[in-house]
Amino acid sequence: MTTVDHGLDAAPSAIEGERLTAPPGPNTPRPRRRRGGLTPYTLLTPAIIVLALIVGWPLVQLIVTSFQEFGRAQVFGAPPEWVWFENYANVLTDPVFYGVLARTLAFTAVCVVITMLVGTLIALMLMRLPKGFRMLLSVGMLLAWAMPALTATVVWGWMFDTAYGVVNYVLVNWFGQVEYFQHSWLIDPLSFFFVAGIIIVWGAVPFVAFTLYAGLTQVPEEVLEAAQLDGAGGFKRFRLIVFPFLKPIFLIVTILQVIWDLRVFTQIFALQDIGGIRALTNTLGVYIYQTSIAGGDFGQGGAIAVITAVLLMSISIYYVRQVTKEEEL
Amino acid sequence: MRKLGIVALGAAAAITLAGCASGGTGASDEGAEIRVWLVGTDTPDEARDYLKTTFEKDHPDATLVIEEQSWDGLVDRLTTSLSGSDSPDVVEVGNTQASAFTSAGAFLDLTEHFDDLGGDDLLPGFVEAGSYDGKFYAAPLYSGARLVFYKKDALAAAGLSVPSTLDEYIANGEALAAANPGKSGIWWPGQDWYNALPYIWENGGEVAVPDGDEWDAQLSSPESIAGLEQVQRVMTNASAAPKDGNETSPEVGFCDGTTLQLSAPSWVKWSILAPADAEAPGCPDQEQNLGVYALPGMDGGAAQVFAGGSNIGVSAKSAHPELAIDALKIILSDGFQTIYGENGLVPAKLSLADTLGTDEVAQAIAAAAGNAKLTPASPNWADVEAAGILQDLFVKIAQGGDVAALAAAADEEIEAILNS
Repeated sequence: MTTVDHGLDAAPSAIEGERLTAPPGPNTPRPRRRRGGLTPYTLLTPAIIVLALIVGWPLVQLIVTSFQEFGRAQVFGAPPEWVWFENYANVLTDPVFYGVLARTLAFTAVCVVITMLVGTLIALMLMRLPKGFRMLLSVGMLLAWAMPALTATVVWGWMFDTAYGVVNYVLVNWFGQVEYFQHSWLIDPLSFFFVAGIIIVWGAVPFVAFTLYAGLTQVPEEVLEAAQLDGAGGFKRFRLIVFPFLKPIFLIVTILQVIWDLRVFTQIFALQDIGGIRALTNTLGVYIYQTSIAGGDFGQGGAIAVITAVLLMSISIYYVRQVTKEEEL
Repeated sequence: MRKLGIVALGAAAAITLAGCASGGTGASDEGAEIRVWLVGTDTPDEARDYLKTTFEKDHPDATLVIEEQSWDGLVDRLTTSLSGSDSPDVVEVGNTQASAFTSAGAFLDLTEHFDDLGGDDLLPGFVEAGSYDGKFYAAPLYSGARLVFYKKDALAAAGLSVPSTLDEYIANGEALAAANPGKSGIWWPGQDWYNALPYIWENGGEVAVPDGDEWDAQLSSPESIAGLEQVQRVMTNASAAPKDGNETSPEVGFCDGTTLQLSAPSWVKWSILAPADAEAPGCPDQEQNLGVYALPGMDGGAAQVFAGGSNIGVSAKSAHPELAIDALKIILSDGFQTIYGENGLVPAKLSLADTLGTDEVAQAIAAAAGNAKLTPASPNWADVEAAGILQDLFVKIAQGGDVAALAAAADEEIEAILNS
């Protein structure tokens, strides 16, 4: 999408969408480039140093630790022993790890699909709502989004509480579902992830909705109007005009959701304390924490973290490639 | 001029980023702040005030701050905070968790201060828990026996009396639950594994026993299984508590009338009798109706209950170790420990046992503490607790799972951690 100022208008070509431009002539004055010289780099340097320190250094530490036998004694200063790939071998031959991985991937997939679906619908609704209701909905979503994950989990945990929760109360007293008297929502892993999913989707929808809403306001009105005149219905207009327009936004938001949901920690960790069986509800983030910090085996925890990071990185690389492809088009 | 501009720009950018840098820490005691981590709400406010005022009177230049921590995730938090440069100075740790830190070198060696801190007057089991490799790292703080609290009117209405054996206790619980549908004859949320230990021990079982250099987990031994089956019976027939709930806030059910009996640490009495408008409200009107006894054993007398309690040590990373040790000395002074005794916690010193008084609770505490027992003395035991293996086990037992199979699986997991 770069525009080069050659002083000449591009000529239309026979191929649709293509425009012919002449190569820059030898006499064309070069655009003023070296203006400012090193200033941008000078301004960037401190930030890069800080980034390298707070992001790069822990990453190096993590990789180093994952090659060591690193327990609680090492945390307090005992010299660690190098075991190289033993931690990785232990993790990759451990069926528990694959269970956790499969559970995490499945849970992420479900959460992302629901989040994107609900987020898109709310964004579309925001376009239609009169101003007052739009404000109301926006403020409500902002509050949900601003609520710290831990607070949200505790509050949702109360609502689903076995003995005193409002959900059981309403089901029993309003709808006569007596089997929900003292019903434990967290003891069955599927039901546990249902509750966890609600908390995570509830917290993630506002971001998706706001981002897509911002994108929707940029879709040119006249194109939509023309399509409407041509007889395209609402769903068709969304599929053929809005979605292609917003594809880069959909892509980045989806990938961000995947990354966030894959490494989810707070909601699961706090919910496990409220109820449920830890061994059957661990996801990658919680499993890393339990292995390294609670279990005191930082080496193995590091290995799991590195494997997770590689997984997340491969997703990010896919995303970056998709975006650059979009830009080349 | 140009070069100067670049330098200035760089400096300006650096300065904006340097806002978070803190001043250097001096080693001088002048203006020092001693941070004491106490865990949970067990330590009474009176004791906290006593510690702060006494310390600041002795050291007018220094201040002492008490930071309350929660028991949930304590091992994790101590691991990260004690190893950092911002370590608290004096920290409380559960007695079964102490060895994870004494063995790792997280605490200052207090061997030379042993006599100043109380010497042989200190609770021997807790001194052992706070020692490693012949050195003394963490002093006893207090011990809290587990007692059974009950509603006198409910027991009387069901025509029952205080049980004298474990079997009678279980039968009482079942009878209470049967007579009061939807209520707990013995309130027992599934994650509460501390209360299950007496059943294992009274039946002659163990959690794990040393076998040479290794640990041999014993939950699947016939004796332990017998105990675990009793646990399942109580959880199924006598308890209406959430099968996967945890044991925090037992006073809620007691006060709203759905819990008729429960087994809990002695200080729960004060949670139950807390003012109705307190942050964690209790029900002081139940004072006359609140009965208490020590959990009975298989053959009468007090059962072997879990000797819960705390140790307290000085962080190896403390910036002011001398001041921290002085604070520790106040904590183990007779004045401070007497406040524990008066509030139903067993003081860290044997000579202060009579500060518990002579009422019903005191007698029950004395009976229970005389027969208290500890979890396996391995530095890795804290990891078993942190991994939540026992919580998971008892949640599954509460759900009605196959006890023998669950116990065998838990044994494998416990051995894997203890022998790693």
